[in-house]
Formats: sequence, structure tokens, C-alpha cells
Amino acid sequence: MKYFVELAGRQFEVEIEAAGVRVDGELVPAALEPLPGTPLQQLRLGDRTLVFAVESTARGEWVLAYRGERWEAAVVDERTRHVRSLTGEGRQKVGAGEVKAPMPGLVLRVLVVPGQQVDAGQGVVVLEAMKMENQIKAPAAGVVEAIHVEQGRAVEKGQVLVVLAPSEPPGGGAGVA
Amino acid sequence: MTPITRVLVANRGEIALRIIRACHEEGLEAVAVYSVADRLSPHVRASDLAVEIGPAAPSESYLRIDRLLDVARETGAQAVHPGYGFLAERAAFAEAVEAAGLVWIGPPSTAIRAMGDKTEARRRMRAAGVPVVPGADAPITEIAVALALASEMGYPVMVKATAGGGGKGMRVVHAPDELAPALATAASEALKAFGDPGVYIEKFIERPRHVEIQVLADATRTVHLGERECSVQRRHQKVVEEAPSVAVDAALRARMGAAAVAAAAAVGYRSAGTCEFLLAADGSFYFLEMNTRIQVEHPVTELVYGVDLVREQLRIACGLPMTVPDGVLVPNGWAVECRITSEDPANGFMPSTGHLEFLRVPAGPGVRWDSGFEVGNDVTLHYDSMVAKLIVWGRDRDDALRRIVRALDELVIVGVATNQGFQRRLVTDPAFAAGDIDIQFLDRRPDLAAAPPSEALTRAAAIAAALAEDAARRARKPAIAASDDDHSAWLAAARAEGRR
Repeated sequence: MKYFVELAGRQFEVEIEAAGVRVDGELVPAALEPLPGTPLQQLRLGDRTLVFAVESTARGEWVLAYRGERWEAAVVDERTRHVRSLTGEGRQKVGAGEVKAPMPGLVLRVLVVPGQQVDAGQGVVVLEAMKMENQIKAPAAGVVEAIHVEQGRAVEKGQVLVVLAPSEPPGGGAGVA
Repeated sequence: MTPITRVLVANRGEIALRIIRACHEEGLEAVAVYSVADRLSPHVRASDLAVEIGPAAPSESYLRIDRLLDVARETGAQAVHPGYGFLAERAAFAEAVEAAGLVWIGPPSTAIRAMGDKTEARRRMRAAGVPVVPGADAPITEIAVALALASEMGYPVMVKATAGGGGKGMRVVHAPDELAPALATAASEALKAFGDPGVYIEKFIERPRHVEIQVLADATRTVHLGERECSVQRRHQKVVEEAPSVAVDAALRARMGAAAVAAAAAVGYRSAGTCEFLLAADGSFYFLEMNTRIQVEHPVTELVYGVDLVREQLRIACGLPMTVPDGVLVPNGWAVECRITSEDPANGFMPSTGHLEFLRVPAGPGVRWDSGFEVGNDVTLHYDSMVAKLIVWGRDRDDALRRIVRALDELVIVGVATNQGFQRRLVTDPAFAAGDIDIQFLDRRPDLAAAPPSEALTRAAAIAAALAEDAARRARKPAIAASDDDHSAWLAAARAEGRR
């Protein structure tokens, strides 16, 4: 089975075979095995062993962590990718989405206005928590569609602060491209 | 004095656990207090008696002097250890404890008060012959006076606003002819920023290190236990501490130690305390302030001097002499501490919260882990963001740094984002490894906050994601995964995928 893994802004083709995985045409002996009773999975890759914390956040969506490094991965198989490219369906999240409060806090400033184009990583709201000012940033480029908070408002963890729309329609409909 | 058999630990988290451990090793019982939010914290389980003192908010629990004294009375504790933070440097708490006929495990309230007023402390230190940053606290009114002062303390000097803060009205002056214009500009800036044109000058210390001296005093002796280097700071929060310091040799240690002992003696100090100094590149050092309590980073001193500072505090409070020998103490080897915090460096060091799903604590030779969290605990926003202190000992600095890298690589924390990766980049950074640090080190190195993982590791993560997805699909739909040629079934699955 061949999978397309979108991770760290890149795409990897990983073909799973009986003897291991084929990545970029190279066959490597590989196996992943959960460590029972933990959120950890042990990856054997050739003669190396690495332990990842692996969590599924939605179907085909994974969060992996290793020694404090963290990745989000979207995994689709070849057929799904093909179907998506034909139907134009797919993950259209790139450049769109909700900016949520990562913690409870107080909105000190709203840095954007509706209709404004923002870049990935641009601050949209300044939230005060633990007596520290924290700039909440846009996860991707987009256009501010709605602002759900105002200055001085207390917000809960996970509350939507700002909604971003994609700045341009995703090309080709293939969210994985 | 009634003998002390039971100690109230008026704190939470790792320091509460640290104190409880010391009590038990000294043969004393420990009474823990906890807020509702902390009812499942390790310090509660470790104690002999534990009493809930209020809601999560510190003002309604850990800062309630009346409640803490009630608990001491109800549980029959004869002494109170305040830890650090919360009420530890509140002279009023020490006084209330003393007034209640209990023993305060710390310095006399008079010493806390004397060191708590920073201007007053500066004056007393100057009188005791402890070097402070040279300068005039009074506003400059005549340029001639400023010139005389500047040439006396030596250039460069810093012009500062008396009402100041935030860099407004501040100017570094390198030569006498720059002084008059700098004073004028600073005064006008200060007037605009603070409505007060008052400016003063003090000695400008270029790229100073933060080096502090540990002091311990019993009824008859005051000794120092060398230095800790704490220059690596972010927003005035220490990030990595070590003992000894690459910048301090035996002669400088003796001079700084003598100054710290003099500072402690000047306020009638008892118990453990720390004098913080700025150390300039030329070896001159200047008193900043004295922390009249046990400090977060005390373990690095313990590891190189073979002393348990908290047990010494308990002994001193019990009226016993400290066990530290007389004479010049020499640090053995090197100790390094990394503060593991629930801050996400990839996200501007945003505080992160969550449920600790899994924790693998580093172990093996020379590794110490001081933490107030175990698996199952929640990391919340009620208290500070320090999850643990990872401390190692090595025979020299290189050895200690290799060991802390090894220990950081063993550490697994699942459930909350931490600065673990940042700490690893920091302790393996060539400039840090060379000891080339000062208090602005992290300001110059935003690159340490986030660095892309290696190609090989990124590829491994992608492979793990693909294998995890494959396993999940097999678990969900064994029939489909098993028969790849079942055309209609896979098409249905693919359509379902596509519609998601």
C-alpha cells in the first residue's frame, strides 16, 4: 500500500511492503509497534530504533513527537489522492481555519481587521495569561473572515478568536499537492 | 524551645516534595498543604499529613498566612518551611510565624526586610564594603558633577532616567565629550516618557554574567558554597544553571564568597541564602540583591559540594550546627541544571497546558530529577510553568554537558508541550559549550527557539505516520486492508476518504 504523507510542509511517498517501507525508491526494513499501556510507538528503521509519541487527531491526521520535536502529519493513500484529484474534494484547510485560544486568558489587543490579508505566523490577537503577553499567530496565510473577540474579553481554552478564509482557492483541488 | 519533630511545608510542587524528602531524611515528619487543584500532586502523597487550604488561586490558598498558621496549629507542626516563591520572602509571614511561637526555617524576618528593600539593601551593602554598581542614585543637576562622577567610576557609563524603565531615557556613554549631549537627550526622552526629566548615571557593565554565591549561616558561622552561573535567562527567567562557573577561578571565588559572607553578616543572616552579582569580563563584580530563601537552582551547588542545603536549613532551624566543614571548600566536578518548562518554543514560548499522559524520567549515573508532577497530573495555568528540573553531575563541564544531552534524550513527556528540544539545542550549542555566555545570550540567539529537525528524523517521522495510518486502517477495516483487489470495497473506502 502506498501512502502520501504531508509533514513539515513536505510530501513523502511511503510504500509499505512486506519487507519494510520504500521511501523515495529506497527499500528500508521498517516496523512500528505500540508500547502497550503508553502513547508510544517504537519504530524500527533498519538497525535503528526510535520511540515516537503517536496520536491520531482525526482520520488520516497524526501528531508525532520525538525528544521534544513535534510534527503534524496528514496521511492519504494513492487511491484517495486520485479520487480527490478527480472530484476536487479534499482537505481544503490550507490557508483556512479557526484561530483558537491555546489557553484561557484575557484579550489585550486584536491585531487584525476583517478582510485583512495575513501571513502565516502573523500575530492576530494578543492574549494575557500567567501575567505574560502571548501573541496568538495565524497558522497559515489567509484573509480574516470574522473576529469573535474584542479587547478586554476573557476567553476559554479552545475558544475561536478569529476565522481565516483561504486567500486564494486551492489549486487543482488536491489538498495534498 | 520545644524540639522540632514536625515541619509544615508551606509550598507546592517540586520544592514542597524536595523539602518533604529532606524532612524524612532528617527524621522529621512533614505536613503538606494543597489547593483543590493540587489534591493529586506528589507532594500530598509524600507527606505524613496533608491539609487542603483552599481553591486553586494562590491568593486563596498558598498565600493565606492565617490559614497556614491554622494548619500548623491544628497539625502540631513546630516549624514552617516556606520554600521559594509565594510567601518565602514575605517578612510579614516570617514575623507571623515567629509571633505564633513557631520556628521559621529561613533567615530572621529582620534580614528578609533589610534585603527586601532594594535601595536600603544597596546602602547597607555599600556600608559593609560589598561592591554595588557604582553610580549616583540622585538626579544629575550639573554637568561638572556628572563628568567628575563618570571619570571616577570609569567609562563606559550609562545614563538612566530616575523615573525610568523599558529603555526609555537610557544612553551608553563611552567618552567624556559624549556625556553632556547624552544627558540632554536622555532628559528630554525621560520628560516625554515619564513626565520627569530626572536622569542619573551609573557604571555600564558590558555583557555581564549573572553569577550568584550560595551562603549558609548557623548560630556561629557564615560560610559560602561557591558560585552558580545563571546567565542563560529568558525574560529574566533562568533557563540553565551550572556550578561552578567557567568565569570564576579560585581567587575570584574567594573574593566573591567573602563579599557574600559580608553581605549576609551585615543583616544578621541565618539559614540558606543567595547573593546575586553581575560579573564583568574584567572580573569586577557588583551586588544585585540577596534572595533570602532556598533557590530553585540550589541542586547544582549540592552536587558539586556534597551538601544537602535543605537538610542544613532544617538542622540550623533545630539549633544544630551545620555539617559543612571549616576552611576553603572546593567544588568537585561540574553540575548543570535544565529547567523543563511547559512552554512551547516553536510557538513563541507560549505556556502550554494539558494532562500528563506519559512521563519517562531520565535515569542512570549522575542524573537527578526534581519535579512536582507525575503521570496523570494536569499542567495548569494556576501556577508557574516549571514541570521539572533536570540536573546532572559530571567530572568536568564537558562531561556534565554530554551527560545532560544524554539525559534530555531519555526524557519523554507526552501530553504537554515543553522546552525539551530547545534545551537540547541550547546545551549542544557551540557558543554555550565554550562557556561564552552572558545575560543577553538568549536575546542574541532567537535561532535556538526553533530549528528544523534533521532530514533523517523528519523522514523517520513520515514513515512512522504512514505505518501508524496503515495499522489504524487494518484495525478499522481488516477485510479491506487484507484484500487489495476487492475493487468495489476499496472504491467505496476511497470515496468515503474523499468526502471527509
